[in-house]
Amino acid sequence: MDLHTVTEVISPARPGQWRPGDAWLGGGTALLGEPRPHVTRLLDLAAAGWPPITVRDDGVEIAATCTIAELADRLGRHPIVLQCCHAFLASFKIWNVATVGGNLCAALPAGPMISLSAALDGTCVLVGPDGGERRVPAAGFVTGEGTTVLRDGEFLRAIHLPSGPLGARTAYRRGSLHRHGRSAVLLIGRADPDGGMSLTVTAATRRPHVFRFLSPPSAAEVEAALETIPISGYVDDVHGRPVWRQHLTRHHARRIRAELAV
Amino acid sequence: MQVTMTVNGTEHTREIEGRMLLVHFLRDVLGLTGTHWGCDTSNCGVCVVWLDGEPVKSCTVLAAMAGGHEVRTVEGLAEGAELDPIQEGFRQCHGLQCGFCTPGMLMTCRALLDRNPDPTEGEIREAISGQICRCTGYSSIVRSVQWTAAHEAAAAATKEEAVAP
Repeated sequence: MDLHTVTEVISPARPGQWRPGDAWLGGGTALLGEPRPHVTRLLDLAAAGWPPITVRDDGVEIAATCTIAELADRLGRHPIVLQCCHAFLASFKIWNVATVGGNLCAALPAGPMISLSAALDGTCVLVGPDGGERRVPAAGFVTGEGTTVLRDGEFLRAIHLPSGPLGARTAYRRGSLHRHGRSAVLLIGRADPDGGMSLTVTAATRRPHVFRFLSPPSAAEVEAALETIPISGYVDDVHGRPVWRQHLTRHHARRIRAELAV
Repeated sequence: MQVTMTVNGTEHTREIEGRMLLVHFLRDVLGLTGTHWGCDTSNCGVCVVWLDGEPVKSCTVLAAMAGGHEVRTVEGLAEGAELDPIQEGFRQCHGLQCGFCTPGMLMTCRALLDRNPDPTEGEIREAISGQICRCTGYSSIVRSVQWTAAHEAAAAATKEEAVAP
């Protein structure tokens, strides 16, 4: 998609360069995929040269500019990582360019990197115009369809995934109107070594919902947790009606609970 | 802005608009019209080129982002008059009809065979996912890749025999 209103590309971009009309550029697959008439400049983060994956004592840090191909290559040994990469339903030509951060910042309900980082207790590292950092839980990074907590001039620098959740046993369920369709519901369950369990609902809802249980929950406890999502919190578009998404969410949540209880 | 990139082994420096997509840079600035321009939204795959050896869809990559990198297009497949085996495979097995999807298909299939010299039919079909062909029903494309894989395996075996003591 030719962006006719774009007059300049700043590459590589630095904190503090942002001004109204600017857009941060990751891989570009989402940004260049549809008209963006309000965008006048692109601030290229991909050229910053950040290492895609940095292993730390307490987990891994995934650069916002890490491509899906790099993520799958470096962390694909964790089943949930690879499952979320495949949830893109994109060919490897897209994997080579699309970035983890771009998927988060696009904030589409079906963004599988949102599902992954929320389900694994990820933390988003944000950099402001003055270069200062703030950290927010990945589960709270996306606030609605296409909206995030990012402030003007702020960009997503990295996502930190703690080693415990990354190594935990997970259960994954995805549903869509068509086998190769956009995710209408994507649920991830996680069983922690301390006996706790979490259930993350994405794609079906306008923003991620993460439910934590101190011990393996009963079916009724899972049902009660899901009841806290109002019907207005479910996405309503051509990929599925809210009632259907709610039904699938409950159905897959039951399956996940049973799988992790074994 | 000025951008410099290596395309098919030759370095090019041009003054361009920052918003220019790589597909337009290749076609309109360098005149390399082998790379086709289709959906413009990364769905059809006719614009696939290699960026530092990795297939990408050049309609969702800015030319500026390719600055300092190596690009290979379908024009860079053949060596002089000698077709790349994947081109020969498409010729032998009628892997094209109208030819519009062919440049992208060739670049993807060449990359596939470089990484996996003996792909299964499923692997071939997965590799060309995200690339649309309205003529062949994909079957002849799959056969073309299989022909190329067999041809290259036979050529490699012959070469090994020739160098064996």
